[in-house]
Amino acid sequence: MDKIVPAQYQPALPLEKLILQDGSDGAGDRMELDVLIVGAGPAGLACAIELAKLAKADGTELNIAVLEKAEALGEHSLSGAVVNPRAFRELLPDLKDSDFPFRGPVTKEAVYLLTPGSKLRLPTPPTMHNRGHYVASLCEIVRWLGAKAEELGVNLFTGFPAAQLLVRDSAVAGVRTAAAGLDRDGTPTAGGGGQAPNDLVAKVTALAEGTRGLLAQAWCQWQRVPSANPQIFALGVKELWETTQPLDRVIHTLGWPLPSDAFGGSFVYPLEPNLVALGLVVGLDYRDAALDVHVLLQQFKQHPLVRALLAGGEMIEWGAKTIPEGGFYSLPERRSGDRVVLLGDAAGFVDVPSLKGIHYAMQSGIYAARAIFHNLKDGSALTEYDRLVNASYVAADLYRTRNMRLAFRDGFYLGGIQAALMTLTGGRFPGRKYRMHADAEVERRVSTPSGVVKSGISKVDAVFKSGNATRDTIPSHLIAAQDVPSDVARFYSHVCPAGVYEATDSGLRINAPNCVDCKATDVLGPRWTPREGGSGPKYKRM
Amino acid sequence: MTTLAVLEQRDGTLRKISHEVVTAAQRLGGAVEAVVCATGPVQGADQLGKFGADKVVTLTNPAFARYAPEACAQALAERAKQGGYRTIVFGATATGKDLAPRVAAQLGVGVAEDLTDLAADGGGLVVTRPVYAGKALLKVKVAAQPAVVSLRPNVFTPVERPKAGTAETVAVNVAAGRVTVREIKAAPAGTLDVAEAQIIISGGRGLKEPANFKVLEELARAFGGQAAVGASRAVVDAGWRAHADQVGQTGKTVSPSLYIAVGISGAIQHLAGMRTSKVIVAINKDKDAPIFKVADYGVVGDLFEIVPKLTEEIRKLHG
Amino acid sequence: MKIAVCIKRVPDSETRVKIAADGKSLDAAGVKFVLNPYDEFAVEEALRRKETAGAGEVAVICLGPAAAQETIRTALAMGADRGVLLQADKIPADPFETAKVIAAELNSTSWDLILFGRMAIDDYNTQVGTLVAELLGLPCVTAVSHLDLEGTKGVAEREIEGGIEVVDFPLPAVLTTDKGLNEPRYPALKGIMAAKKKPLEVKPVQPGVGALEVAALTPPPERKEGKIVGEGAGAVGELVRLLREEAKVL
Repeated sequence: MDKIVPAQYQPALPLEKLILQDGSDGAGDRMELDVLIVGAGPAGLACAIELAKLAKADGTELNIAVLEKAEALGEHSLSGAVVNPRAFRELLPDLKDSDFPFRGPVTKEAVYLLTPGSKLRLPTPPTMHNRGHYVASLCEIVRWLGAKAEELGVNLFTGFPAAQLLVRDSAVAGVRTAAAGLDRDGTPTAGGGGQAPNDLVAKVTALAEGTRGLLAQAWCQWQRVPSANPQIFALGVKELWETTQPLDRVIHTLGWPLPSDAFGGSFVYPLEPNLVALGLVVGLDYRDAALDVHVLLQQFKQHPLVRALLAGGEMIEWGAKTIPEGGFYSLPERRSGDRVVLLGDAAGFVDVPSLKGIHYAMQSGIYAARAIFHNLKDGSALTEYDRLVNASYVAADLYRTRNMRLAFRDGFYLGGIQAALMTLTGGRFPGRKYRMHADAEVERRVSTPSGVVKSGISKVDAVFKSGNATRDTIPSHLIAAQDVPSDVARFYSHVCPAGVYEATDSGLRINAPNCVDCKATDVLGPRWTPREGGSGPKYKRM
Repeated sequence: MTTLAVLEQRDGTLRKISHEVVTAAQRLGGAVEAVVCATGPVQGADQLGKFGADKVVTLTNPAFARYAPEACAQALAERAKQGGYRTIVFGATATGKDLAPRVAAQLGVGVAEDLTDLAADGGGLVVTRPVYAGKALLKVKVAAQPAVVSLRPNVFTPVERPKAGTAETVAVNVAAGRVTVREIKAAPAGTLDVAEAQIIISGGRGLKEPANFKVLEELARAFGGQAAVGASRAVVDAGWRAHADQVGQTGKTVSPSLYIAVGISGAIQHLAGMRTSKVIVAINKDKDAPIFKVADYGVVGDLFEIVPKLTEEIRKLHG
Repeated sequence: MKIAVCIKRVPDSETRVKIAADGKSLDAAGVKFVLNPYDEFAVEEALRRKETAGAGEVAVICLGPAAAQETIRTALAMGADRGVLLQADKIPADPFETAKVIAAELNSTSWDLILFGRMAIDDYNTQVGTLVAELLGLPCVTAVSHLDLEGTKGVAEREIEGGIEVVDFPLPAVLTTDKGLNEPRYPALKGIMAAKKKPLEVKPVQPGVGALEVAALTPPPERKEGKIVGEGAGAVGELVRLLREEAKVL
């Protein structure tokens, strides 16, 4: 086998399992709410806060709940991150920037083009200017927003993954959560730990599941909501280091160690002078089946630029997450439907050229809250949410850069030239939409990895540093095709940064408990489904 | 300044921790008075002079046939009040952990528990105790009068410092107490838990297939029932061994006196589960395996040759 | 059944220990705090006993900082009826002082059962339950891994080295709970919701200084550099000699 088209081995989204008639058997508790928000990330929590504030100002009682699959707030949240504070200011206008959970303003920044042994300083592209922005940990942002939401009376349920969409006709009625306390074979664990799924039903459900949201995908497919281009993704692998050398600037790099037919780059951000977040992001439309983002990050750390910074330091956390990169043309045609809205990364509100998504996520949550509030109040349509987003800076920003990421489908150099032209023309060049294939449709060439990298940390150690202590005996939550060829198994083993997949003599081995919910193989191979609440990573300052 | 060393007996025989307690007490300088609660003479008590006990006191009462928490506590607290000891040393065994705070409370103080080190410091003590699962050591100044402490077992290696110890037997008049031990059930045979075992032999993927664990089971048997067989997460995930045997991450954290890692490469999550073992031996064919970084003793090579040879040697030792 | 459960807020067992600038405590930055795992067994047991009895109350008592209200809410979400936070910024280094504060609170009510976890996973103390029992003059059984109650009589099992002690005791009593006693329940959605409305009383307390003082908190010593004894079966003889004579573990 010398070529792989991943889509050929990818099981279909199990829609028949994901869409469930409300009232179906099998649930334990049933809870009725006014608004149910799925996912306690920046989008979901901003939505909850704005809704609670609107209700309070209006003197109405709203029963709002946020479901989160992580055991505690923020533990499944990962981002760079440099944050544009704009949506924070709109959500909480009484607070100053210094009240927000940021680590510090960006004062200096540098962009480099790397070669194996040296670096070339590039002028910072206009889209990447970060003056007025702040370095932050998304985990900390989420915990802070969660506390604000709770103060306003929002119910936060952590440790409850939404597994199925409850529907009535074409309307979304709520969600059913994943069961907990089951053994590998699906029977309750000894000692009576088993817990049946719960049904949460609401007048409006907001899907804010984050990147590659399962129920958002299911809803779009079920309701046949198209997008101009399929959504495309990147995988980011990130480490947090305590360093002995201080860092005073935000750094981005392009080039090495990525091959020229892959799109991506690195980031190095100081949370504190001696607490540094660094990571590598690679578009999942890369062509070499042996490319491995985790391994590339380990190589990247050997570059003189980074090696000097990390010398004598200690890696204290590790994590991985995908990023929806398709931009404007990959947004679902509508992000609202019958009793449902899609927010944040689940809808695809990310601007790759500026490397930003958090403030768009929050802004979408704010707009959704306003539309939901009116809908509950006077029955006005939820399409108001789409109207608000389309008329806002969110849509305008994504439209301006609509083709920039897409141009890189042609490789780093051609892409770079086209992106530069787009910047110069304010997005008008080339005056047409770039057509994209879904990542899984992109053909990969089979190759052998160029030498084993011994430096850096192994995937097993990485998973340990993600805080992942998933019970080893939970039922597998990953759906892979039967009998995948060994080249494909090897491909999966490179795609997954957490060592979930291994190519063995007897075929594909799946170490399901290792999974850190990054969703990379959900994009390119085996499907991800939710598992027992509280499973997966326990990020602290990612 | 006299230190009171509280011994432990079961069925009239002194337990090993007693030597450790006397050894540690003796380190504080001054006289050491060893005390044990029993129904009559305790086998092994006469040997304590060898470890530095100046005096061995046997407190007798019919209630002491089995561990009698309240009766022992009362007897010891009364003895302590009369004796004016500066320090009272217990072993942090299941019994010692139960008894020490009872005695301490009756003396109006708390216990410095589970010590790995202690030293006299002016009028008081400075002690060290592992906290946060052994991830840090807490150094504490103890000003309590008397200072009541308990020692982590297997840390204070008994040292022989012979003294011409005297012996005394005192029948004490104490109530049997409200809490009484009805019986001691033997732990279910053949199921030595990895969390309890003093010796653990763990296997990883280097074993190649589940059936090969019999090599490790034979080695465990050679230790005469003191050893348990553990496993790395990789082989547990593969279904070769039960999850109860897993060491590390979501498995168990262990700290036996001897940990033998066979065919285990040493992922951080495994190391985190066993790095507080007293002595670590690694047997692995890859000399660069991370396990060798934490191992005290490493043997590089084919485990299927090395382990049987080791089994043979251990069998010789245990006759 | 009227049951008190004394709980503690502790750093998660996966916490990476970083020493604070004072050299005496844990740097709490980025640390996640949870309900002490052994206390979960105590909460679970209390709930089961109350459920079996069909009536009664489970009160949760916690000495700790204001943030420990969250820890109490966790127990309330599992099903406990009410909580009391004995609020103090610092938990005393001397467990006897902790015990005095808790005993004073417990003393105001008469309980059928008072439960503690067998130990706290942060400071590794196993004594506070016993100290409290002594201060209250109640019988106490520690490290209970199996429990039968009938009327005012109880039979408990506790693991000891190489065996299991079967212990008789009368109620009311103080018990400390060990692994194996039960499988703590997952908080249910309705429980989490209900927990918000359950009474949680906050009482400021000022524990005494006590007779134990923390001098330093330090990382454990690095393991001594190990040695490769040799290669292959030929090295076994030397390995056994080293284990006997140098390491003294055989």
